[in-house]
Amino acid sequence: MHAHCSILCITPPHILREIARNGTPAQQEVAQRTLLTSASLQAKRSSMGGRLAASLRAIVVGGKDRTVYDAKNGTSLPGVKVRGEGDPASLDPAVNEAYDGSGITYDLYLNAFGRNSIDNNGLKLNSTVHYQKGYDNAFWDGEQMVYGDGDEDLPVSERLFNRFTKSLDVIAHELTHGVTQYEANLNYFAQPGALNESMSDVFGSLVKQYQRAQIADAADWIIGEGLFTENVNGVGIRSMKAPGTAYDDPVLGKDPQPGHMRDYVNTIEDNGGVHINSGIPNHAFYVVARELGGFAWEKAGAIWYKALTDKLQSTSSFTDAANLTFQAATELYGSGSLEEQAVKTGWTEVGIDIGVPSENEGCFTSVMRAIGFIK
Amino acid sequence: MMKILFERTGGFMGRKISLHLNLDDLPSDQAGTLKHLLDEVDFLNLEEDKSASLYARDAFHYLVRVETEKIRHSVHVTDLSMPAALRPLIEELSRLARTKNSQ
Ligand SMILES: [Zn+2]
Repeated sequence: MHAHCSILCITPPHILREIARNGTPAQQEVAQRTLLTSASLQAKRSSMGGRLAASLRAIVVGGKDRTVYDAKNGTSLPGVKVRGEGDPASLDPAVNEAYDGSGITYDLYLNAFGRNSIDNNGLKLNSTVHYQKGYDNAFWDGEQMVYGDGDEDLPVSERLFNRFTKSLDVIAHELTHGVTQYEANLNYFAQPGALNESMSDVFGSLVKQYQRAQIADAADWIIGEGLFTENVNGVGIRSMKAPGTAYDDPVLGKDPQPGHMRDYVNTIEDNGGVHINSGIPNHAFYVVARELGGFAWEKAGAIWYKALTDKLQSTSSFTDAANLTFQAATELYGSGSLEEQAVKTGWTEVGIDIGVPSENEGCFTSVMRAIGFIK
Repeated sequence: MMKILFERTGGFMGRKISLHLNLDDLPSDQAGTLKHLLDEVDFLNLEEDKSASLYARDAFHYLVRVETEKIRHSVHVTDLSMPAALRPLIEELSRLARTKNSQ
């Protein structure tokens, strides 16, 4: 602490923040760490409340601690360590994307919500790149993030997918599956599963907007921008602003996401359509952010974060999510507030009314519904 | 007669790709490769359902079904639950399905 004292005493915080945003990776590291140290000292001086205390906790129990591994096109996890926290950049872009992407995701969770990593207790952020050959996917395995290289094994003219670290929101999406696992722990089937997916898209998009310092109106609300090669007619995998419009391609077909309950897709595949019906809560969040304006993580994000960490449960349905985000808005901003009204508007636009008690389905009923056995 | 049905579902995109192969219709080297991979993993004696991965999110699910005149055997696995010995077969079928899907 003493060694850093001179730096933090002479560098004004607004310049540090500027460096943290625009400096070289090494400068960013030092500035971030100094800002955290500075925040922790302020916290000690004041009452040590809220987010400053969280910043301090990040230092005490271990703050941002990233490791990137290389599976070398195999499938053993985590693979060979290729970059640890504070190490210089690699020559391999996938390694740097995984490192930087998990870093900015950590930053949003800490700075906007006072959360210290996936478990709010400084859990190490481990990522593996170059998983398998021709692996056009990314996943969370319960402990770490894993990324494939797309269709790198096919001739260029046949490739549909680039490497999955190319898209920052994909990285934040996977990391958020970890956060959800430690919080609401939403079941991965039917509506709770689609909410689980939607939470990952919501915070994935917020991380991208945070990195670009974009307000809600300026953001593209596209998930997986940059994943498609130029052989594909599409802007990304999903659109939160206009679900169902992200791609329309002769090979891939058309984006199947609904943006309204009347188009809800009942299917047994994809864990009951978790990546399809997530379009509905995704669009509700987009509308809330659009209604509130400004940086989406500040209000809409805070409401969704409170619902995810304090209110939603493993079996929550879309109706539960509507009621619980409304409750979260009331608690954060007051009864009759604009924020509360925006949440109501968001869910109404996707065909879900606030205040209607949800009939919480058991597993059997939701499976029957998913396969179209009951309406 | 030997037929193979392959389906890959789930993943970050939630997109399904599939493949129906009749080994009698394939070039002999391709059919030979697939038969060899099936033999290597002793496919007909693999457990049918190994698809549970409690905390896995966005992983692929795979279904492989092999059908002959006498027998029909299906195996469900995910990226995380599949036995290592099965992986070469899944990789080959995935490659064929992705190639077919991109034409
Ligand atoms: Zn996901």
